[in-house]
Amino acid sequence: MNKAIKIPLRILLYLFLLIMLVFALFPVVYILLSSFKTNSEILVGGTNIIPTTWRLENYVEAWNLANFGTLTMNSVFYTFFVVIGCIITGTVAGYVFSRGKSVFTRIMYRMVLFSMFISIGTLALYPQLRVARVIGVSGTLWGPILIRVLGMNATQVFIATGNVDQIPRELDEAARIDGCGFFSTFVRIIFPLLKPLVATIGLLAFRIAWSDYLLPYVFTISKRATWTLVVGLVNLKSGGESASSWNLMFAGIGISILPMTLVYLILNKFFIAGLTEGAVKG
Amino acid sequence: MLKLGQADKTQEILMLLPMSIGFVLFVLYPIVWVIRWAWFNYDGYTTPVFIGMENFVRAFTRDPAFWGSLRNTLFIAVVKLLIEIPLAMLLATLLTSKIRGSTLFRVSYFLPSVLSIAVVGLIFSIMFSSYNGIINAMLRALGFIKKNINFLGRRDNAFFVIILVSLWTSFGLNMIYFIMGYQNIPKDLYECASIDGANVVQQFFHITVPLVAPVLQLVIMLSFLGTLRMTDLILVLTNGAPGGSTEVVMTYIFKYFFQYGEAQTRTQFGYASALAVITAIILAVVTLLYLRLSRRMKQIQE
Repeated sequence: MNKAIKIPLRILLYLFLLIMLVFALFPVVYILLSSFKTNSEILVGGTNIIPTTWRLENYVEAWNLANFGTLTMNSVFYTFFVVIGCIITGTVAGYVFSRGKSVFTRIMYRMVLFSMFISIGTLALYPQLRVARVIGVSGTLWGPILIRVLGMNATQVFIATGNVDQIPRELDEAARIDGCGFFSTFVRIIFPLLKPLVATIGLLAFRIAWSDYLLPYVFTISKRATWTLVVGLVNLKSGGESASSWNLMFAGIGISILPMTLVYLILNKFFIAGLTEGAVKG
Repeated sequence: MLKLGQADKTQEILMLLPMSIGFVLFVLYPIVWVIRWAWFNYDGYTTPVFIGMENFVRAFTRDPAFWGSLRNTLFIAVVKLLIEIPLAMLLATLLTSKIRGSTLFRVSYFLPSVLSIAVVGLIFSIMFSSYNGIINAMLRALGFIKKNINFLGRRDNAFFVIILVSLWTSFGLNMIYFIMGYQNIPKDLYECASIDGANVVQQFFHITVPLVAPVLQLVIMLSFLGTLRMTDLILVLTNGAPGGSTEVVMTYIFKYFFQYGEAQTRTQFGYASALAVITAIILAVVTLLYLRLSRRMKQIQE
């Protein structure tokens, strides 16, 4: 191809990529910038993207007055236990499914595989709530935590099993000879080798828990004090309380998406790898 | 020696036990629960009455709204696929060729995929608000419209926004799948082709497309199933408004299980269970059909 065509073509290409860049980033940038606007500026609307007056107090007020402090702490609590729990159950399940020999293990693996085909998604929420009532964890975040941690998320199980499969079995045998049992082989030999898997499962669990909406919503509908950030935010919108305090809602959205965005920007390689790997294996 | 093996097995079962109990309680039991109550008239207040096939008869003969929600879901899924697949493939092609700032583009395009769908719905409903939304303001400033468009209050407009938002949340992820697929294609194939005189477009259709076929299948299936399971976005963005016309399968059934939003429907667990069973069967059939088809396609290729 000659250069006369090539240069305009390249400009066109970059233009297209830039348009898609704006498409991808605009909503996030717009909402973050708007979270510093005054309430009246938001109410009037207009094409202004950058605030005319910067109002940092939005965040202080949202945190103290609009209850976002409590909501955030609940989200942190929920996310913390889901991440820690998923790392433990994920790696253990991966290890048992990869190395286990019992009939029980094989049956469970089949069932997890099979559950992917007959998943009813959000429609399982009501029966799950019934179970939680029986165990005595409805109305708290412990219900959603138990479901996320012990529910054997198929994606997580397959990523974990695939990862443990790649560790040479000679290591297990060596540990056996040194007197390690099935459990202590996992704790002393296998788990320390699973750092990348821990990172992947941790990030996936972090994303799920921090973003979760319907599961915590259904479990804590009537218990405002245990709402997470996302639940509180959506309620603010549909509850009709927003008109008087758009600025606080915007700040709330900021509080909700900033941690995720920052973690993603720092660890984007792991994020992208984890999310895609999850789907390919699952 | 034999005793040691037995101890290992006990440890193995004990390690898996907590998750197995969780799996039975939170994954298996709900499925059994739904299958059981599908045959009952059960609203949570009065005593359940066994009514046989009645719930299914009702779904198939007297509930056009359910089939409407299914049609909506399929419409969203198909339109989304038709836009998303070419877009993701094109972006992946561009970003794997010699482009400056390729990483910047990749990281930016993927950002929407990590955000909470519910919060994303919130952000877009603010942007598309009919009275102070920035999209209306911009369209007006550019002179495209004189009066604000009611984006979420009218059916056709609402579908446009729903598809746009779900596209926004997933195009980056799908692009990454294609990039992964492209990386598995040997580079010398392109060199041979260009020596033989094939231009870029011919190379794309004769080398790239056939060789990323497995990835293409994966993306189609994930995108399709993802749309069938879509719930949060619709609840936050339109909640079925106006008048239930943008309801999708999951939100429609969800509202028979739980009261949500302003709609004061009374919960009907029995009927909801029957609808859940029907949907689960549809989902399973789609998945199986899909796996069949893709296996056959693979055989043809080989």
